[in-house]
Amino acid sequence: MRGVCTVNDLLPFLVVGVTTGSVYGLAAMGLVLTYKTSGIFNFAHGSIAAVSAFVYYDLRTLRGLPWPVALGVAVIVVPPLIALLMERVTRSLAAGTVATKIVATIGLQLIVMSALLAGYGGAALDFPGFLPTRTVTVIGVNVGIDQLTSAIVAAACALGFFAFFRLSAMGVRMRAVVDNPDLLELSGTSAFAVRSRAWLIGCWFAAASGVLLAPQLGLDVLLLTLLVVQAYGAAAVGLFSSLPLTYAGGLLIGVLAALATKWVSHSETFAGLPPAMPFVVLFAVLLLVGRGRLAEIGGHRPAPASKPLMSRASARITAVVAVLLAAGVPLVAASKLPVYSSALVFVLIFASLHLLVRTSGQVSLAHAALVAVGSSTFSHLVVGAGLPWLLAVLLAGVVAVPVGMLVAIPAIRLSGLYLALATFGLGLLLERAVYGTSWMFGATNTLPAPRPALFESDEAFYYVLLAFAVAGSLLIALVGRSRLGRLLRAMADSPTTLSTLGLGVNVTRVTVFAISAFVAGVAGALYASQGRSATGAPFLSYTSLTWLTVLVLCAGLRAAGPSLAAVLVAVVPAYLTDGTLAQALPVLFGFGALLVALYEARAAKRRGSGQPLDELDAPQGSRSGERLGVPGPAAQRLTVARRARVARSAPARVRVGTGLAKGATR
Amino acid sequence: MSEETDGAMSGTDPESSAPESSAPESSAHSTGLQIKDLTIRFGGNTAVDSADFAAPLGRVTGLIGPNGAGKTTTFNACSGLLRPSQGEIRLFGKDITGRPPAARAQLGLGRTFQRMDLFDSLTVEQNIALGREAGLARSHPLKQLLSTPAEMRAVRAATEEVIELCGLRALRHEIAGSLSTGQRRLVDLGRVLAGDFQMLLLDEPSSGLDTAETEKFGEIVTRVVAQRGCGVLLVEHDMGLVMSVCDYLYVLDFGQMIFEGTPAEVRASSAVRAAYLGSEAA
Repeated sequence: MRGVCTVNDLLPFLVVGVTTGSVYGLAAMGLVLTYKTSGIFNFAHGSIAAVSAFVYYDLRTLRGLPWPVALGVAVIVVPPLIALLMERVTRSLAAGTVATKIVATIGLQLIVMSALLAGYGGAALDFPGFLPTRTVTVIGVNVGIDQLTSAIVAAACALGFFAFFRLSAMGVRMRAVVDNPDLLELSGTSAFAVRSRAWLIGCWFAAASGVLLAPQLGLDVLLLTLLVVQAYGAAAVGLFSSLPLTYAGGLLIGVLAALATKWVSHSETFAGLPPAMPFVVLFAVLLLVGRGRLAEIGGHRPAPASKPLMSRASARITAVVAVLLAAGVPLVAASKLPVYSSALVFVLIFASLHLLVRTSGQVSLAHAALVAVGSSTFSHLVVGAGLPWLLAVLLAGVVAVPVGMLVAIPAIRLSGLYLALATFGLGLLLERAVYGTSWMFGATNTLPAPRPALFESDEAFYYVLLAFAVAGSLLIALVGRSRLGRLLRAMADSPTTLSTLGLGVNVTRVTVFAISAFVAGVAGALYASQGRSATGAPFLSYTSLTWLTVLVLCAGLRAAGPSLAAVLVAVVPAYLTDGTLAQALPVLFGFGALLVALYEARAAKRRGSGQPLDELDAPQGSRSGERLGVPGPAAQRLTVARRARVARSAPARVRVGTGLAKGATR
Repeated sequence: MSEETDGAMSGTDPESSAPESSAPESSAHSTGLQIKDLTIRFGGNTAVDSADFAAPLGRVTGLIGPNGAGKTTTFNACSGLLRPSQGEIRLFGKDITGRPPAARAQLGLGRTFQRMDLFDSLTVEQNIALGREAGLARSHPLKQLLSTPAEMRAVRAATEEVIELCGLRALRHEIAGSLSTGQRRLVDLGRVLAGDFQMLLLDEPSSGLDTAETEKFGEIVTRVVAQRGCGVLLVEHDMGLVMSVCDYLYVLDFGQMIFEGTPAEVRASSAVRAAYLGSEAA
């Protein structure tokens, strides 16, 4: 019958889904294990997979070693070295804020990705497979032996590890180090040793998933890193805690993605859905699961800010001097003027991100998507609808506002890491499922984006951009000094306290996302107009990670941070004529962000401000929940014992005097 | 005292958008906070079991009990940070059981935190000002974005008054995260006093204070209640402070209200001694 799928129709997709999903599950288990034991969600997990795959490639293809040797080095020898490094770095980050930890691991990822790109180039390489590629028939479906082996190896690792975690003494210690590392130390077990082993297993799993996925995908740094990012969705199914559910989540995502391939094969609108499926799952889980079930591990409050770098009057003078200097750039920049024009657009982008991340403490990893929305909208409005240039730029900002408010929805329910992951998932979802549609950049991924007729030349348009950069920065500065700015800074410290003072913090969250999105949307329109075309390529989700990293790198300069970040991203690369230096720049960004994160974490530890992140808002039953008044297991046992004693000895409630409470004794 | 200062003390809103709490004449209003049959369970564990009590306006009501008695849990339920398993919470006669924390605060319920939950990146002055400003901003996007001149004057007046009252003038420009425990306690109290609250929940305010600081703290609380006519519900372990400032006490043990009475009656109660010291000692 037409339109009805039989089981036989679906079987090939199910089998493919299970084989790839099994590997996602393996990678996700490593991710969850290291998160559970260290409190650090490792955004560089995919980079570990990529490193192992490239080590195998290097030894096997470039040096001609036998595949078992190459595989042994890549999967068994290299991971312990990475694990040692990760344990050392993450231990130093323990007292840091969620943003600090996120930026540190993103910095690590930037270092690894950029180093691999510099060493092996950006083009996909042929991965020398080590498993037989002929097919066998399984329940009527032809499956490659390599795929089948990958699935079996991943499943065996998952089952073996689950048994180890539940039954072995080390498994019990790994669970104990999550609950209370100090208590574990007091009982004579080194928390360091336990965490090291957890990192070792996590890195082994990442490495294994890398060499298992690479034969199917080819050797591509970005692709490999992103594919392990799909493990985030699986980790979300396991609520970032349950290892068996995480593995099941990997299978679910694999199957859903495979089935989506079949179902949307004839739809142009939904063509991007299959690769976006892990992020649909990630976003849906984070949005729908009760807050009480998403207990954040190891989050800490932001460290108290020190006093401003300079007085308000000095800051104003500095800003005026900076604008005057910027106005003189066309006189000296010559052919490099477009670079400075781009930098002015980035001033707006970083100012809007600064408001969100640094002022209000909302870690958003979907900022590139907001800029992309502004960019594509501008083209549709000015070319498609024929609106005047200025109106189209402003409306592009307005159109980005509801998207920003959509990004804000997770912020109402989530904070810290889970907000970062939800926004990252949303950004990836938009990139995969919407960028390529006619709503945004279309199948060609490029739209025309003219400049205003009176400002066609680079010099004239530079001054238009300078005016926007000054106006946007003033707007952000005014917001920062308004009542909203004070509320945002207070919200970054403790939203719960703010709500007990009478503020509707959800409105505050949505408002700041809306303002930030407007400025980002305008920046997107200007970016497109500057380049005379709107395209999604500069606004991939990973760009959001890089922007956050660079912003944190420049955070020490406070209000001047966005301007320096813009110079670092747009101007500095243009002056690095040496190709090696240009390639090394992201590595330097990564190192810089890592060092800043380590410095901030160390400073927080010295100040002793290691208070858990908004513990009053913590879900019931979590570790933080115990501080809220929810007794832990030990307290519950004590309570039961004392309650029994009181029941035997204490009298019923005694009422004396003239209290207003109900009078009857019970 | 200036007109603005008077307004700040009595809790009137400068934009005449007075909170629902500003009707001190009504009898429902004077009942302050009333808790009926409050039960809070965490899984199989009952932290608070059918507790009944009231904290009326114009006096300091104490809620005492040993560690683990359920005092802070009760506070969290009153301020909306925990949802009770059963029971009813009424503020000035209105059922607020299902309302979120911000709505309760907008009705006139303010609280401090046992662990001094200050805005550590802001100055002392900004912390205190936010006590009033958050209530003015409420849940309106425009009010959150901008403040009117009248509101700014009211915030300034409330802030100045509280800074004077709590003796924080020398610290007003210090970053809150850099203060000592005693100073943080005062800022925490000052912030809630700057707000437009008629009912204050103070959670172990003397924790970490020395004797002199505790005495000063007690004086401030007593003076505020006398001047403003507001109600205070005080959770406290320092019996000296409790006995000196409280008009009426409730004793909670293992989530059950085991005694109520005046400080003198509580002091004489064998049931209370048993709860604190164990039945054998009592």
